[in-house]
Amino acid sequence: MAMHLMDISQNSIRADAKNIQIAFNEDCESSRLTFRVGDDGNGMNEEELRSLEDPFFTTRTTRKVGLGIPLLKMTCEQTGGFLTVESEAGKGTIVQAVYCTDNPDCLPLGDIAGYLTMLIVANPDIRIKFTYRLNDKEFKLDTDELKEQEIDLRQSGLPGLLKPFIAENLKELFFHRAEKSFLC
Amino acid sequence: MSEIKTLADLKKKQEEMRNRIKLRDSAENPEAFVQVKVAMATCGIASGAKEVMEYFVEELDKRSIRSIVTQTGCMGYCYAEPTVEITLPGKDPIVFGYVNTVRAEEIIEHYIKDGELVDGIIPQNYNTIKS
Repeated sequence: MAMHLMDISQNSIRADAKNIQIAFNEDCESSRLTFRVGDDGNGMNEEELRSLEDPFFTTRTTRKVGLGIPLLKMTCEQTGGFLTVESEAGKGTIVQAVYCTDNPDCLPLGDIAGYLTMLIVANPDIRIKFTYRLNDKEFKLDTDELKEQEIDLRQSGLPGLLKPFIAENLKELFFHRAEKSFLC
Repeated sequence: MSEIKTLADLKKKQEEMRNRIKLRDSAENPEAFVQVKVAMATCGIASGAKEVMEYFVEELDKRSIRSIVTQTGCMGYCYAEPTVEITLPGKDPIVFGYVNTVRAEEIIEHYIKDGELVDGIIPQNYNTIKS
């Protein structure tokens, strides 16, 4: 799942986004996990949107296949979930994938802290808002907030601090997860 | 390392660290930096680009090599992922393929430090010939 996070965010970065919102919304009662990435990048027009799920469609020039979105669609659909993409040219894109966490095929979350840290460190000029919500509890991270606190995203050694910070908070949050969930 | 739970903790830690390493002047011209670009598209991620990127960030830091590590999209060498593009100050960029942490170590030690070429270079011509 963390890999999808990086993959989809990379699309946003390529679309010259200045703000990226990443949100995980996990609800134990309905066993749903909603993974959402929104950006204010270039967006897509209708035709591009239609061909989005075609793995042989891509805007890039370096290769002929684009598997990011199709793979995300596959992993959420195999749990019984679905994928929606909203986009408007010039305004931005919202990708939303819903996973059913009571399905054994649900992907493990993976190293979210690691990927998020890399994403923030490698793109200090992009405002990244991350939220992980589990039932009524949540962990939020906003790179603007970090900057307000005068935490320098460019300083060396930061990744070594940021990663445990995120991991620690997420770990605490995950104690509240219901046992029947296959998410791990 | 003690726990880092809140933003305040994070800030405190960073200040401690700042005092310890004495800010290297990062304001100097960016040309003087080693630029490392890790390809982070679907193909790169799937083959472990994150581990390589973490390794570069950590190791270059430890060895006090002034560098900027960023991510980029797919360069079209999916078969050779993870790929890393390295630009030494004043030199043309060079793309290395099949980079794992062992390779990354070689690249740092031999290429970045000494400028010696190592295995795994993907020949890339930046000036395409127009027909």
